[in-house]
Amino acid sequence: MISATAMKQILLAAVLGASVSALAASGDPEAGAKKSAPCAACHGAKGISVSPDFPNLAGQNEDYLVASLRHYRDGQRKNPIMEPQAKALKEDRDILDLAAYFASQSGLYVKN
Amino acid sequence: MPAFRIVGPVWAAVALSVAALSASAAENNKVTLQNKIAQCQGCHGIEGWKTAFPEVYQVPKLGGQKAAYIVSALKEYKSGARDFGTMRAMAADLSDDDMKQLAEYFSGQGGGVSAQAEPQKAPQK
Repeated sequence: MISATAMKQILLAAVLGASVSALAASGDPEAGAKKSAPCAACHGAKGISVSPDFPNLAGQNEDYLVASLRHYRDGQRKNPIMEPQAKALKEDRDILDLAAYFASQSGLYVKN
Repeated sequence: MPAFRIVGPVWAAVALSVAALSASAAENNKVTLQNKIAQCQGCHGIEGWKTAFPEVYQVPKLGGQKAAYIVSALKEYKSGARDFGTMRAMAADLSDDDMKQLAEYFSGQGGGVSAQAEPQKAPQK
């Protein structure tokens, strides 16, 4: 049997752990805006792209954008334009901020 | 002869089936597209739906996405150039025409490649 005290400690650790990982996963949209100039050249100043071949980013799910940029950076997703762009992002923080910025815009939606 | 009594109705049924099939071919295409859309919606039509493996993140929103981009993404999944198991399986059975029709449905763009200048208002955050 786990004692009540031990259970409380386990729960507290779980809550703290969840908070820390939530913090670590969230970017700063304002910081992202300042880093977004290279993105805007193709994806548009407001995340609505300038060409039908480039995806809109405005309103896209934040964690999907994070995953996509990491995949480009790590070579898991191949694209001659996006691979060098993502590799130029020196820190993971840059990816988080950019994702937060584009996710905060209005555009894409869940069609159902 | 019992055999004739059976064969007659069987041929009549076959003829009727063939007629019904060709008459409903157009309707079948429509149903097929709706079924393919329903396959997409199983994940992409649900707010906050997440991938399960190997990484967990929300599946991308498709509403208002560029049609030509959706087609190129589906082709990359089908060829394996873009490696994600679930989408590779989904795209495997799609023809070029299916991809175009699905892209038009999700983008809201008729004709498949027209640029969309203004962002659409998201109905929900």
